[in-house]
Amino acid sequence: MCMELQLGLAPPGSDTWSRPLLKLGLYEDINVNSKKRGFDHGYLEDEFSAASFKNYEKGLVGWPPVKTWRRKKLRCQVHNHMTAAENGCCGGRASNSTYVKVKMEGVVIARKIDISIHQSFETLTTTLMTMFDIFDENRRSFKLTYQDKEGDWLIAEDVPWR
Amino acid sequence: MQKKTAYSFPDEILEHVFSFIQSGKDRNAASVVCKSWYEIERWCRRKIFVGNCYAVSPTMVIRRFPDIRSIELKGKPHFADFNLVPDGWGGYVLPWISEMAGAYPWLEEIRLKRMVVTDESLELVAKSFTNLQVLVLFSCEGFSTDGLAAIAASCKNLTELDLRDSEVDDLSGHWLNHFPDTYTSLVSLNISCLGSDDVSFSALERLVGRCPNLRRLLLNREVPLDKIANLLSRAPQLIEFGTGTYAAELRSDVYSNLAEAFCNCKDLKCLSGFWDAVPAYLPVIYSVCSRLTSLNLSYAPIQNPDLTKLVSQCPSLQRMWVLDYIEDSGLEVLASSCKDLQELRVFPSDPFGEEPNVSLTEKGLVAVSSGCPKLHSVLYFCRQMSNEALVTIAQNCPNFTRFRLCLLDPKIADYRTLQPLDVGFGAIVEHCKDLRRLSLSGLLTDRVFEYIGMHAKKLEMLSVAFAGESDLALHHVLSGCESLRKLEIMNCPFGDKALLANAAKLETMRSLWMSSCSVSLGACKMLGQKMPRLNIEVMDEKGPPDSRAESDPVDKLYIYRSVAGPRFDMPPFVWTMDEDFASELS
Repeated sequence: MCMELQLGLAPPGSDTWSRPLLKLGLYEDINVNSKKRGFDHGYLEDEFSAASFKNYEKGLVGWPPVKTWRRKKLRCQVHNHMTAAENGCCGGRASNSTYVKVKMEGVVIARKIDISIHQSFETLTTTLMTMFDIFDENRRSFKLTYQDKEGDWLIAEDVPWR
Repeated sequence: MQKKTAYSFPDEILEHVFSFIQSGKDRNAASVVCKSWYEIERWCRRKIFVGNCYAVSPTMVIRRFPDIRSIELKGKPHFADFNLVPDGWGGYVLPWISEMAGAYPWLEEIRLKRMVVTDESLELVAKSFTNLQVLVLFSCEGFSTDGLAAIAASCKNLTELDLRDSEVDDLSGHWLNHFPDTYTSLVSLNISCLGSDDVSFSALERLVGRCPNLRRLLLNREVPLDKIANLLSRAPQLIEFGTGTYAAELRSDVYSNLAEAFCNCKDLKCLSGFWDAVPAYLPVIYSVCSRLTSLNLSYAPIQNPDLTKLVSQCPSLQRMWVLDYIEDSGLEVLASSCKDLQELRVFPSDPFGEEPNVSLTEKGLVAVSSGCPKLHSVLYFCRQMSNEALVTIAQNCPNFTRFRLCLLDPKIADYRTLQPLDVGFGAIVEHCKDLRRLSLSGLLTDRVFEYIGMHAKKLEMLSVAFAGESDLALHHVLSGCESLRKLEIMNCPFGDKALLANAAKLETMRSLWMSSCSVSLGACKMLGQKMPRLNIEVMDEKGPPDSRAESDPVDKLYIYRSVAGPRFDMPPFVWTMDEDFASELS
C-alpha cells in the first residue's frame, strides 16, 4: 500500500487551483507493489489521492460533500490503520521507503530524492532548487507546498518537519 | 390630553406580553403591527439571530436593538464546508465584537458559525463581556489557544464553551490552566476539535473535578482511553460525553475501571467520540446503552458484527450518526431495535474510493424508513439508488423535515432501470409536505425541479449538484418554492434566463450560491444594476471579471440580500456587481 505525500513549489500569492507545481510523491519500491505503474501515474498510487485527483480532473471539486473537518479526521484514521512506520502528517505512514518522486510542471523528467537525509525544509528546498536549476535569487519567489491525501494544497512549513 | 382608545394597552403590559414571544420571527411580525409596537418590541428584544453577517451591519443592529443579551451570527456560505470558498473570503467577527463591546456590556451569549474569529476578537470578548455565559464557535477558524486562554481567564460566568468543528491553532495546552481555581460554573465543554498540543490533561481533570454542574463534556482525540475512567468518576452527573481515542491494548484493569465509570453515570444519554475505536472496549458502554438517546459513531472504524451488536442494545436511540460500516444488515437491525429513531446520518468511510468497500445500499435506508415511524431527518451517503426505493421511503416517512441523499457518483442513474432519479425525488417532495431541507444527487433532469417547484412549498433550503438540463429547472424552483431561503447550486447548466426572470425572488431569500454554472458576467452586472438591495458577488481567482467578455460565465456567484450595501472587506478575488460601488472605486 502506498502513501502519498506530495510537495509543491509555487510562487507565493498564487492561488490554490493553478500554481506551477513541483509534485513530490512518496512511493514504495516497485517490487513491493506488484502492479506496474506508469511513470505519470506513479504519484497517484494512494487510493485517497488517486481518487480525489480523479475527482478534481473530472471537475468534481466539492464532491462528495464531506466536511473538510471530517475528511481530515478520516484521513488520519486511514493512516493509523495502515501500520505506522514513522511520523507522517497525521502520525502514520505505510511505506518504509523514504524516496520521494519530484516532478515539476513543465519539465518532463522527474527526479527522486531521499527525504530521510534531510532534517529540515531548508535543506530540502535547497536540494530541490539545485536539482531543478532554480537560482538563489529566484528561490524567494517559490513556496514549498504539499498536497495531502485528498488533493488539498497546504504550506509545507506549517507542518512540523517530522 | 391624548385619548387612549379601548384597544391600546400601557407599554408595560405590552412589554410583558412580548416577553413571552421568544421566536425572532414572531417578534419581527409583532414589530411591524404599528409604530408603538415597533418601539416597545425593539427595547425589550434580548436575543437576535443574524443568518448572514453581511445582510446587516452591527451599527444598524445596535441602533435598532439597544439591549441585546444573546447574539447568533453566521458567516460563510454553507459550501465553504466543502472547500468551495477560498481562504480570505470574509466572515470576520471582529467588527461585530468591536461595536458590541461598547453597546452591549451585558451580553451573555455569543454563537458564531463559519466565521473568522481571531485571538484579538477573543481577547476583546474576554475584556468586554464580563457576564458572558455561552460561547459557541461552530466551524470557525482563525484563532489559537491563546484566544481561548483569554476567555478562560476572564469569563467568570462562563457556562458553555463549544468549539465544535473549529480549526484552532495549537500553541499551548495550558490554556485550560487559565480557568482560575475559583471557577466552578462550567456546564458544557466541547473541545473535540483540538489537536495534540492543545489540552493539558491535568488541567482538564482539575477543571472537571471542581465543576459540579458539568453536564456535557466532549473530549479531543488525544485524550487516551485509560484516562477516561478517572475523568468520568469526577463527573458522574454527565448527560453527554464524547470520548477521546477509543483504542488501547486490552487490559483488564483499564477495562473494568471504564465499565464501572460508565455504569456510575446514571444520567448519561449521549455518547460520541470513539475515535479509532476498537471492538475490545465497546462492551464497557453496554450498561449505558439502554438509556442512550444519541450515539455518534461517525469517527469509529468499527465494523459488523460488533457495530450491529452495539446498535441492537440501544432501543431508546433518537439520533444515530454512523459510518457506512453499518451496512444494510446493521441498518435492518437498527430499524427493528430503535423505534424512537428520529435522525439518521450515515457517512462514507471511503468517500473517494472507486469501488464500494462496504455493502451499504438503498436497502438500508428503506429498512429504516419502514421500521422507524418517527424518522424525520436523514443524511445518507451511498453508491446506488432507485426510484422505487425513494418512492417507498417517501411513502413510509411522510414526516420528513430534512432529507439529504449523497450518491458518491453524483450523476448516477437508477441502478435498476437506468432512468434518472426524478420520480423518486418527486415522490419525496410530494409526500413529505413538511420538508424544509433537501439535498439532491444522482442523474436528474429538469423534471425533478418541476416536481420540487410544484410540491415543496415548505422547503427552505435546497442543495443541488450536477443536475438539470436547462434554465427551466432553476425557474421551477425560484418560481415555485414559496418558502425558499437558501439555494446552493454547483456544476449545473443554469444560465442567465431563470435568474433574471426571478430577480425579485432573490430578495425574499437569504442567499443564492452558484458555482461552475453558466451565469454570465453580463447577467451579474444587470442584476447588480436592477437590484440595489442584493449584493451580487462574483468570485474568480483567475483575475478581474472585467478582463473577460460579458458573455463569459463566472466561476462562483454568491447573491444575498442586504440592507447594509456591498461589503468593504472583500478579498482581491471577490468583485461586487453593485454599480455605485464599482464606480466609486474607479
